[in-house]
Amino acid sequence: MYYGWHGRILRVDLRRRQVQAETIDPQRAKDYLGGRGWAIRYLYDEVDPLVDPLSPQNKLIFATGPLTATPAPTGNRYMVITKSPLTGALAHSNSGGDFPTWMKRTGFDMFIFEGRASEPVYVWINEDRVEIRPAAHLWGKDVHETTDLLLAETDPEAKVACIGPAGERLALMAAIMNDKHRAAARSGVGAVMGSKNLKAVVVMGRKDPRMFDEAGMRELSVTISKEVGADVKKGSNLRIYGTAYVPQVTNTLGILPTYNWQTGVFEHVSQIDGVALREKYLVRHKPCYRCPIACGRVTRIPDGKYAGEGEGPEYETIASLGSACGVSDLAALTKANYLCNELGLDTISAGMTVAAAMEMYEKGYIPEEHIGQPLRFGDGDALIEMIRKMAYREGFGNELAEGSYRLAEKYGHPEIAVTARKQEFPGYDPRGSQGMGLLYATSNKGASHMEGDVAYEEVFGVPVKIDPLTSEDKAELVKRFQDAFALIDASGLCVFLAVRYVFTKERMILPTRLAQLMKLTTGVDYTPEEVLKAGERIYNLERLFVLKAGSTEDTLPPRMLYEPLPEGPAKGKVVELDKMLPAYYQYRGWDAKGWPTLQKLQELGLA
Amino acid sequence: MRVRVKLIATYRQHLPPGTRGDTVELEVAAGSTVADVLQPFGIPLDDSSVIVLNGRTVPLDTPLQEGDTVAAFSAIAGGGEAGKGMPDSSVLESPIL
Repeated sequence: MYYGWHGRILRVDLRRRQVQAETIDPQRAKDYLGGRGWAIRYLYDEVDPLVDPLSPQNKLIFATGPLTATPAPTGNRYMVITKSPLTGALAHSNSGGDFPTWMKRTGFDMFIFEGRASEPVYVWINEDRVEIRPAAHLWGKDVHETTDLLLAETDPEAKVACIGPAGERLALMAAIMNDKHRAAARSGVGAVMGSKNLKAVVVMGRKDPRMFDEAGMRELSVTISKEVGADVKKGSNLRIYGTAYVPQVTNTLGILPTYNWQTGVFEHVSQIDGVALREKYLVRHKPCYRCPIACGRVTRIPDGKYAGEGEGPEYETIASLGSACGVSDLAALTKANYLCNELGLDTISAGMTVAAAMEMYEKGYIPEEHIGQPLRFGDGDALIEMIRKMAYREGFGNELAEGSYRLAEKYGHPEIAVTARKQEFPGYDPRGSQGMGLLYATSNKGASHMEGDVAYEEVFGVPVKIDPLTSEDKAELVKRFQDAFALIDASGLCVFLAVRYVFTKERMILPTRLAQLMKLTTGVDYTPEEVLKAGERIYNLERLFVLKAGSTEDTLPPRMLYEPLPEGPAKGKVVELDKMLPAYYQYRGWDAKGWPTLQKLQELGLA
Repeated sequence: MRVRVKLIATYRQHLPPGTRGDTVELEVAAGSTVADVLQPFGIPLDDSSVIVLNGRTVPLDTPLQEGDTVAAFSAIAGGGEAGKGMPDSSVLESPIL
């Protein structure tokens, strides 16, 4: 008898068109928590790390956590785990919206998609009624059309996760979009879905997970909602501006990626920040299901050549499609954002790849005839055209769809690509936030802010502000954050709330409240130390997968290591990776080459 | 001496009415510190604010130089630890200024 978890996994064999329900072993459920944890355990056991990510031998896993679809505020996340075609290592991408709760209500915690369908299909999961249906009529359609058609032919109350044309064409930065505007964006998870001829997953159900302590859970959830409410009343940046308030912050610190990371200060930042967005295009706030923070925004560009309606842009999108491409026209970058959502692209990798192409064009490394048009920094129309071509792999878009690492290498200038494990950086220049540099270099999924976002301390002062320019004392901080984020991603909570529950005032990471929520939900007598140890277990198992996949180098591109920032508060700084990395390995209990030691693996129950 | 104060996002509400953008220029006494120039704006001088001098993290008693910029923003992002008040669904759907 399970609480919190259903304890059930749905396995879908796309080649044989067979589905099967399985039960998870209780000890495994407990040790790996759920979500990202359960998924890496299954991926590690079932997929050879050396497999071609776009072959039928790869598996695509959707996973919810024990807190997904519970009364816990923000308990509405799911994860997509697979071998990444972009990094050649591990993908674990997280998303919210409504889909995660509906997915959990099917009565399954996790879906495993394996093999490749002989023709396009979608999977319709209505509790125990699971159908693999033809999707030829959806192939080629964008995310909005696909979603609308699927709701019409299944159940208008159902929820849809699907790929757009980018995923169908195996663009390496293709996302899986849910509820039209939400994305499990990074590392090319959409391309893996496309390679399986799986256009969409539609979910519906009424099986709420059982709570071990229903009354206790309700009481704690009300307390949490009240706390968030108090914050909102004091003036929450996330509520009022969404993440779009951040460009002013990073620009002030001199770490806003600008002109493909040639500088960290964008002179036009005030034209693309949250204040401008709110004044010009905001329609309303939009929370994910039952979220009291409501950081999402519905926006509309009423007229002109960029007219349209959608959601966003979020901070990362403003940094990648905006400042990194030198685009100061908020309407143009918002339109490019809508296009990414409709065609199913990760805005970070898409924008950063166009930024790299712009720099190479301006420096004469890519001839204009290859691109088919000029491609200068600041050209919003060119950005939009490149995004479209990337998704369809049309013309030069076929090169863009490979990501900036492969693009720069092809044109003989690998130094232009700003990537780690071949994945584009998110919007914090690590030369001015040293801990982020160590994070990008070591992240299992390649450069990402969502695998231990030490910007919370270095940039946002949560729980306290630390000096982002020093590399001292960052090794242990990064390790702790990575373990804590693995825990959060396993739990099913959103980082925006959960990050508040993993610190103590003394800056130690001790997830007291998270452990309490997990205990009330599952009935397992979790302590804060145990759940944090589970986070470390998950992190190390992922690391083993990444190393065995051959992604053994924890490094950063030359621009970050040898080209100092030219201006701003971080002027003159490069990432001092060599000072941090050995100490990091030591804190991790890994050897000098970054492999987990036998002792560490035994301690975590992994050997 | 002249210094600038930049108040970001929600802290813009602490700027004098009619301020254009998010930055004001001030004349302050020589020897004024980071804390001294922020005090009149009503910015909380504790962990609930992030305060930087020319983009750098410094102690609040750091004396200012001519031409310096002090910037501040709220560290509250929606999910703190203590307080009162329950958000209702009307709050969720309406913009808060």
